Amino acid sequence: MPIKILSVDDSRTIRLIVGKAFRPYDVQLFEATNGEEGLAAAQRETPDLVILDVTMPVMDGVTMLTKLKENAATKAIPVIMLTAESGRDNVLQIAKIGVRDYLVKPFKEEQLIEKAGRIVALQKKAPVAA
Amino acid sequence: MKRHLADVFDTMLAMKPVLLPEAKLPSSGGRVTGAVGFGGERVTGAVYLHLTEPLARQVTAAMLGLTLAEITGEDEVNDVVGEVTNMLTGGLKSWLCDAGIECAVSTPAIIRGTAYDIESMPDVKREWLVFECGQERFVVEVHVKLN
Repeated sequence: MPIKILSVDDSRTIRLIVGKAFRPYDVQLFEATNGEEGLAAAQRETPDLVILDVTMPVMDGVTMLTKLKENAATKAIPVIMLTAESGRDNVLQIAKIGVRDYLVKPFKEEQLIEKAGRIVALQKKAPVAA
Repeated sequence: MKRHLADVFDTMLAMKPVLLPEAKLPSSGGRVTGAVGFGGERVTGAVYLHLTEPLARQVTAAMLGLTLAEITGEDEVNDVVGEVTNMLTGGLKSWLCDAGIECAVSTPAIIRGTAYDIESMPDVKREWLVFECGQERFVVEVHVKLN
């Protein structure tokens, strides 16, 4: 069974980079472009990990995280925040709501894989037989 | 901002822009400008990243791991320029936050054209940095008003 990862970011660029980072692994990637879509996807798919931006239209990442943690069906889903904002107070506020890790943009794909790999058991895809 | 820009360009794009000592804004042809605003009780402002069209395409290719020929439309260039501007503004926001000046940032906007200037409102401090990256020059412009 592939690991289910949900990437929530309004930037298509970031969703593409996240997708590229996990491509070598046995991962089923879901995408959402704002917190509202992300919340719906989290409830529908029950992912093993959510990678979540902060500043997004419609519903921001902090609101989505709060709602995710308030819902008994989704509160156990681990979340990595992936955001350009690293101010001390912001990080503390988000940490209080409950995140497993925090990755600040700019970031390298390897950093994302390393942090995700501490939460879920990432397995390299088996090579395709010729 | 200088250090943060170097970090963003090095980490995300494997590019090493050089800060030019000149204070004048370069005149430009076709430009793609990313704009992200920030605001709070004690501060308002915006960060603008002005790239030439060729450099905007190079930045997009580097960010997405594509060749220039694979970039077919303006949408992906706009999204990448917006995201780079967002990262620059995020660094500024974090610095302000750590200095006790809370603020929130906007989602990015894009301006495209050949002859435009960003004018600041009264009491707004406006500064810019000019960089060279390969054959192209680009500008980071910051407008700040402390309340």
